[in-house]
Amino acid sequence: MLKDITIGQYLARDSIIHALDARIKIIITTLLIIALFTIDSFVGFGFFLAFIFVIIFLAKISVAKVLRGLKPILILVLFTLLIHVFLTKGGQVLWSWKFISIESAGVYTGVFMVSRILILILFTSLLTLTTSPLQLTDGIEYILSPLKKVGVPASELSMMMTIALRFIPTLLEEADKIMKAQQARGADFESGNLIQRAKSLIPLLVPLFISAFRRADDLALAMESRCYRGGEGRTRLHELKYEYYDFIALLIVVILAVTVSFF
Amino acid sequence: MDNKISTRMMAEIGVAVALAVVLNFIKLWRMPQGGSVSLEMLPIFIVTFRWGIGAGMFSGLAYGLLQLMFGAYIIHPVQLILDYPLPYMILGIAGLFNIYKSGKISSVKLLGAVLTAGLARLVVHVLSGVIFFSSYAPEGQNVWIYSIIYNASFLIPTIIVNYLAVLIVIKALENNN
Repeated sequence: MLKDITIGQYLARDSIIHALDARIKIIITTLLIIALFTIDSFVGFGFFLAFIFVIIFLAKISVAKVLRGLKPILILVLFTLLIHVFLTKGGQVLWSWKFISIESAGVYTGVFMVSRILILILFTSLLTLTTSPLQLTDGIEYILSPLKKVGVPASELSMMMTIALRFIPTLLEEADKIMKAQQARGADFESGNLIQRAKSLIPLLVPLFISAFRRADDLALAMESRCYRGGEGRTRLHELKYEYYDFIALLIVVILAVTVSFF
Repeated sequence: MDNKISTRMMAEIGVAVALAVVLNFIKLWRMPQGGSVSLEMLPIFIVTFRWGIGAGMFSGLAYGLLQLMFGAYIIHPVQLILDYPLPYMILGIAGLFNIYKSGKISSVKLLGAVLTAGLARLVVHVLSGVIFFSSYAPEGQNVWIYSIIYNASFLIPTIIVNYLAVLIVIKALENNN
């Protein structure tokens, strides 16, 4: 049922990687993604892969958990590999049968592209595995805050995301409750074709929306009675603070990114 | 964008984005390659019709960023923008339409608004697919056709289902207020 769903991938651990500042982690991930696109040899990928395993080790996450995140992307990866193996031509002919042939350039680019995709996904999933959505939201607010000057309401955006994060479990539970109540009255949410299934959701949607918007009303009232007046000057319970190890991490990544771009 | 964002609007957008996340878990139909039909767009449309284009785009942005945090598949920096914030942000353009006809919601005008926004989302997804293929697949493939067929196959049913749901929910909310 809906209540058992886990949202996001975050795994809470007591590790140095988890303790790094969310802003630094976002910047680091962006830097590494850019660096990855400058690499055109497998030596560079080797460096990256080694680095990923060091991070996994430091973050105290099991490798299996990280690899499990790759599962939904497997079809895409396989497709990319095969399309190159069969359609990219050049170099030695390794194998041929009638009009089909596999040539060395195809195998090389296929494996190369797939390695890049896999490393990219591993890296970005490391960010979401080790940083909670709430921390990431704060991080995004700080990173976007220079844009406040041109009118981008960064604090309001992060407030809305924080509200959303707060209400996801509540509304999941509510949806679950309404579904059970309607099923007890004979509603069927599981069978039929697309239109029938959509229709069967109406007895869920209407009460869910009405109660959700009522909650929003209450929340707005509660915020205003506590003198919430928008982002400017709002203080927070947990301030993001840079520590010395944040700068060390950033330094290591900059060195790595510069080094690999030579390969 | 308007500098005065009311607390009530923020609370409503926040809750609507949470609803979108919840509705995304209820899959009406799943494609073998990964696309799926759900009502995730419904709350974004509701916000758009209640508060206008700016609020709609904002809720789309917040939803896209949350999806990004819950574990995204990033294979290209441009693909990141085209797959996560943009397809949902662009739904806000439904707010450009006037959906009322002599004080009442007109189902025809609503269809125009939802359809335009949904097709704009389709365009963004198609572009994303083309960029993926052109950076990862060999040259000479007809990437546009692939991308259009793949994305349209789940987005067209999604748009239809979402339109029907918007029609019912928005009326229910109006009667309730």
